[in-house]
Amino acid sequence: MDTHLEARVLKRHYRMGQSLVRALDGVTLDVTQGEFVALLGTSGSGKSTLLNLMAGLDRPTEGTLAVSGRDLAQMSSNELSLHRRSNVGIIFQSFNLISTMTAADNVALSMMFAGVARAAREGRARTLLESVGLGGRQNHRPRELSGGEQQRVAIARALSNTPSLILADEPTGNLDSKTSKEIMALLKALNERDGKTVVMVTHDANLAAAYARRTVTMLDGQIISDSRA
Amino acid sequence: MIVSDTISLALRNLGQAKLRTTLTTLGVAIGIASLAGMVSLGVGLEEQTVGRFMSSGVFDSVTVLPGQTGGAFGLGGRGRGRGANRDRGTAPPETPRKPLDDAAIAEIAAVPDVKEVYPNIAVPIEVQFEQEQAFATLSGVPLSQRDQGAFQTFAAGTFFADDSTRACILTLEFVRRLTTKAAQALIGQDITIGYAAAAVTPANAAAGMAPPRRVTQSFTIVGIVERPGGALPLAGGNLSGVMIPLEQARPIGAEAIVGRQSILGTPPAAANRTYNSLTIKVRRAAAVPDVQERVKALGFTTFSVQDALENAKRVFVILDIVLGLIGSIALAVSSLGIVNTMVMSILERTREIGIMKAIGGSDADVRGIFLVEASAIGFLGGISGVGLGWLVGRVINFGANWYVRSQQAGGPTDLNLFALPLWLIGGAIGFSILVSLIAGSYPARRAARLDPIQALRHD
Repeated sequence: MDTHLEARVLKRHYRMGQSLVRALDGVTLDVTQGEFVALLGTSGSGKSTLLNLMAGLDRPTEGTLAVSGRDLAQMSSNELSLHRRSNVGIIFQSFNLISTMTAADNVALSMMFAGVARAAREGRARTLLESVGLGGRQNHRPRELSGGEQQRVAIARALSNTPSLILADEPTGNLDSKTSKEIMALLKALNERDGKTVVMVTHDANLAAAYARRTVTMLDGQIISDSRA
Repeated sequence: MIVSDTISLALRNLGQAKLRTTLTTLGVAIGIASLAGMVSLGVGLEEQTVGRFMSSGVFDSVTVLPGQTGGAFGLGGRGRGRGANRDRGTAPPETPRKPLDDAAIAEIAAVPDVKEVYPNIAVPIEVQFEQEQAFATLSGVPLSQRDQGAFQTFAAGTFFADDSTRACILTLEFVRRLTTKAAQALIGQDITIGYAAAAVTPANAAAGMAPPRRVTQSFTIVGIVERPGGALPLAGGNLSGVMIPLEQARPIGAEAIVGRQSILGTPPAAANRTYNSLTIKVRRAAAVPDVQERVKALGFTTFSVQDALENAKRVFVILDIVLGLIGSIALAVSSLGIVNTMVMSILERTREIGIMKAIGGSDADVRGIFLVEASAIGFLGGISGVGLGWLVGRVINFGANWYVRSQQAGGPTDLNLFALPLWLIGGAIGFSILVSLIAGSYPARRAARLDPIQALRHD
C-alpha cells in the first residue's frame, strides 16, 4: 500500500501574548492509502492542528508533511488552495455550510472554484446529494435542514471534486447519537466502498474504536500511542 | 474559477444586502452625477461659444489691421500656442505704421494661399424707408460672399445678382428696427440712405479741413438675412444693418466721413486713401496660420477667428478641469462609501470567506469576487449617475431658457448649457468603475488574505 500522508517531526508553534504555544511538537506519522485513522485526544492535544495542517489550511513551523509525496510546507498559497480544492474533502463539526445558499449550491460551490461548468456541477451536486440520502432536499437552505442533514450536505460537498483524502473534524460533535451513527456509517462506506483515506479527529474513544481501524492518541502536541484494531 | 461564475457569485452577494448595495450605488450615482454634470456644463458652455464662432462662418478669414506702432494692440490674441507667434508682443517698436491702402491690398493679395483681399468699408448712415427712419451702418460685401457665412440663410429674397446693381441686403434685426412690415413684403422696395461726405476742394484741403455735406442715394432691397451680427465684429463676421455690393460701397467709403480722421486729417485723395481694416479670404482654413505669419512679416497686424477660438478653447480646458475637480469631491466621498460598504461586508461574511477558502477557493478567487462586487456598484452607479446628471442638467437648462425668454422676448430659446456627448457618458461610467475598483481593492485584498482558520472560527 502507498503512503498517503507522511509527517516528519512536524511542529506548529505560535505565540499567544507572551507565551509560546506548542500546539504540535514533533509529530511523525505515516498514513497509508485507504486507511481510516482516528486522531484521539483531549482539547488542546494538537489533533485539530494536525488535521488543519493536513488540509493545507495552516503551515507547519518546522518539519515536513507530504501528501502523496508532495510537501505541503513548501507549497505556495495558490498550491495550497489547489490542494484543498482537489486532494482533500473537509468535514467540520459545525458543518460550515453557506447559510444563504441551497444545499445544491453549497455542494456545487467547490466545483465552481475548480472551474466545472454550470450544467456539469449542478448534475453532479444532485447525484452526490442523492448518494448521501438527500434526494428531495436539494433546494433547501441550511436552516431548513436538521443537523444530520446539514452534515450530509457537507459530506456531499467534500466529495464533489473527488478527493482521495477525507478529513473530518469532530463530524458528529453537534449531532445526537442516532444521527451520529448514520453519519459515521457514511464515512465508513466512503472508506470501505470507495477506498478513500479518512482521517477523523475526535475526543470520543468509543467512536474511534467503533469505526476507525487505527487510533492515534495525542497529548500536548505529541503522539502518545498508535494502535491498530 | 470561470469569470461568469465570479460575476454571478458577486451579484448574488450584492443581492443579499439589497439596501446597503442600493444606498452605496446611490452614493456613487450622486458622485458621478455631480462630476458628469460639471463636465457636461463645461462642454455645453464650450459648445455654445464655439458654436457662435462656427456660425459666423469665417474660419477662412483673416482680418488685417494697420501695422503695429509699438503700442500693444489688444485684440491680436497674444499667447497663442504656435511658437512663431509668441514673440509677437515684443515686435520691434521702431517699425513704422504701415497704412492699409491699395498698395497694401496688392501686396497681401500676392501672399500664397490668399484667395482674395477686400477692404472692410463701414459707413454710418441714416436710412429712410417710407415714413420711417433709422440709423445703421452701411458695409460693402464682395460678391464672393454668396452662400458664405450669414448669407446662407435668407429670411427673404436672395443675394446680390451682380456688382453693378444698386441693391442692398438688410439684417432681420435692422428690419424690425426700421418697420413693422413683414420681411417678405420689403423685397423690391427702395430705401434711401444718407451719409455725411467730405467736400474736398483745393482750398479746404490746404486748410486741412473739409466741411461735411449730406449725400443721399437710393438702393433696392433684394434680400434680408436672418442671422444677427457674428461674434467677432473685427473678423469680418459682423453684419451691419445695410449691406451693398462692395463695388457700390467703394465710392461711398472714399468720400464718407467715417471718423475724426476724415475731418481733421488730410482729406482723403482717391490715390492714397487708406482703410481701417481689410479682410483676407484664405483658400483653406488650414492655411490661415501661415497666411497670418506672412502678412505679419509684411508689417501688418492680423487677427483671425482661429486665434480667438484657440484662446477660448484653452480657457475651456481650464474651466473643465476646475469643474471636474469640484464634481470629483462628491465622487471621492462616495468612493469612501464603497470602501465602508465592502469592509462591512467582509466583516459580515468573514466565515463565508473562510468556508470558501477551506473548500478550495484561492486568494485570487476571493479577491475577484470582491472586485467584481465593487465594479458592479461602480457600473450601476455610473449609469444611474449619468442619467441623474442628465436629468438635473435638463431641469436647469429648462429653467435657464425659461428665464432668458422671460427677460428678453425673442431671445435665444435653444440655449443648451449642458452637453452630454458619447465620450462623456462612456468616460463617466468607465471612471465610475475605475474609482470603485480602486476603492474596492483594499477590502478585496483584505478578504483574500484572511486566514481561513481564523475566518472559520468567526461568527
